Amino acid sequence: MFEVRHRINRVILQVAITVMVIPFVVPLYVMVKVSFSGAGLGNYKAVTEVPYFLYFFRNSALIALGVIVISYVLTMLGAYGFSKLAIKGREFFFWMIMGALTLPEVVLIAPLFPTWSKLGLYDTFWAVIIPVAALQVPFTLLLTRTFLDGIPNDLMEAARLDGCGSVRTFWNVIVPLARPMAAAIIVLVFINAWNAYLLPLAFLQNAEHEVVTQLPQYFRSQYSDDQTKQLAGAVLTALPEVIAYISLQRFFERGMAAGAIK
Amino acid sequence: MSVLNYQSRLADADAGPGSHRSHRRSGLAPKGYLWILPAFALCVGVIYYCVGYSIHISTLSWDGLSSHKQSVGLENYQRLLTDPLFWSALWHTLVFFIVVFAVQTSLGIVFAAMLHSKVKLAVVYKVLIFLPVVIAPAIMAPVHRNVLSQEGAVNWILSHLGLGSFTRSWLADTSTSLWSIVAVQIWSSVGVAFILFFAAMSQVDLDTLEAARIDGEGNIRALWHIVIPEVRGTIVALGILNAMAALRLFDFPYLLTRGGPVYSSEFPGVFIYREYAAAHAGYSSAASVMLLVIALLASVVMTLRARARK
Repeated sequence: MFEVRHRINRVILQVAITVMVIPFVVPLYVMVKVSFSGAGLGNYKAVTEVPYFLYFFRNSALIALGVIVISYVLTMLGAYGFSKLAIKGREFFFWMIMGALTLPEVVLIAPLFPTWSKLGLYDTFWAVIIPVAALQVPFTLLLTRTFLDGIPNDLMEAARLDGCGSVRTFWNVIVPLARPMAAAIIVLVFINAWNAYLLPLAFLQNAEHEVVTQLPQYFRSQYSDDQTKQLAGAVLTALPEVIAYISLQRFFERGMAAGAIK
Repeated sequence: MSVLNYQSRLADADAGPGSHRSHRRSGLAPKGYLWILPAFALCVGVIYYCVGYSIHISTLSWDGLSSHKQSVGLENYQRLLTDPLFWSALWHTLVFFIVVFAVQTSLGIVFAAMLHSKVKLAVVYKVLIFLPVVIAPAIMAPVHRNVLSQEGAVNWILSHLGLGSFTRSWLADTSTSLWSIVAVQIWSSVGVAFILFFAAMSQVDLDTLEAARIDGEGNIRALWHIVIPEVRGTIVALGILNAMAALRLFDFPYLLTRGGPVYSSEFPGVFIYREYAAAHAGYSSAASVMLLVIALLASVVMTLRARARK
């Protein structure tokens, strides 16, 4: 984009971007450095000795898995219906779902708390999976429908003439075609489910039901404000995401940028 | 942004020859109601149920759980409209939106342009800019508390630059708490803008750029006159994303300052949660309903404006 013919300009550009990136690195550097200060590895040991330490990760993984499966299945079915099948009042139904795009999750707490209590779902993973999925599906549905709208209908017609019903067309044509979209959806939903903080805070109570985003705060409430252990907890809980991102870079970037590009 | 593409496609379908084709499609295609039912049931069920229930709760004096409920009509709304805390929360949201959007967009464009130039180790820079997007705000919150504390990295850097007089406990100072949250949000979201602009810029026509160069335009002028108009759609999309993020903001202010000190960094999300936790479910829900109305109005205004500009 910038044209740099001369060597000196190239050096200036390199220095400029390095300086500009420094503020992004400082918190990450501090996070690792402080987590090793004081008791050193002992901070990490203390974090792993938090009761139910591994449960935090298992619970987050289970919730993320539940949200991903529900969102993926509902998005695929719905996007096929909205994009390729006959529905009277199609846009009305579609925009009713899209209305949820603007919904702040804090609004869900007062009504869902008594509802989950009444249904016996309070303090179960469903109490988090259902609302998180309900907030994700509108966006993934929008992305996938836009994607399918770009696929010519001739393909469906051909499948139909070959005797494929809508179920077989879905399975043999739509699902394979939408595979690049699926990777982006899964990454996007994974990040949002794994990073969720407010809904688990509101709807999960038992210590063995807590999720990763609550682990760093553990040392804030228990031992006043123990920074080194909090940051050791932050490093341990951030690690799975960092590893996932670095090994699946392309999918993460595409997932976040999904639909923003024509 | 797909929202916008989608709408322009709708407009085409209304007017253009495309509408003919879509009629034929619906005539032949099998019925799709069952296919959309699960998504419709989940989203519309959960969301409209919650909105409806919130409206109902907002007319009550209720602690949120007990069977003792008392209808108070619109009293909660009357109180809310004269509550300076709620108004300052909305004001902070507006300031937050404008500053984050402006800084994020400019930094995103500059980073994307730089990394589209011949820079060594581009992948490393890319990863470092994008990593903050991936890590949960709730996981980073203790780190930011540390960085912004009296003995934190920000003050360390300032005093080594000879700016020792500016050091302070950034989150505990009423004049800097809001700006600290703005800065933290910028830190954690520039990566999104960067990725969007990076993708959009790879579609800029290089011949046009080359022609401008031959006409003697410098790098900055070429960026301003050719690249930025090309990525205008991305800027609009980022505006919408940022407005929604500002209205639903919760994790950072709640975990960094609890809206304080003295409510100097109060946001609607924190306000609603605090009132709810204090067993004022009715009052909290009235604030929820107001926030929803504002979010809905904002999205309608922005999509209409985005459409008008096309």
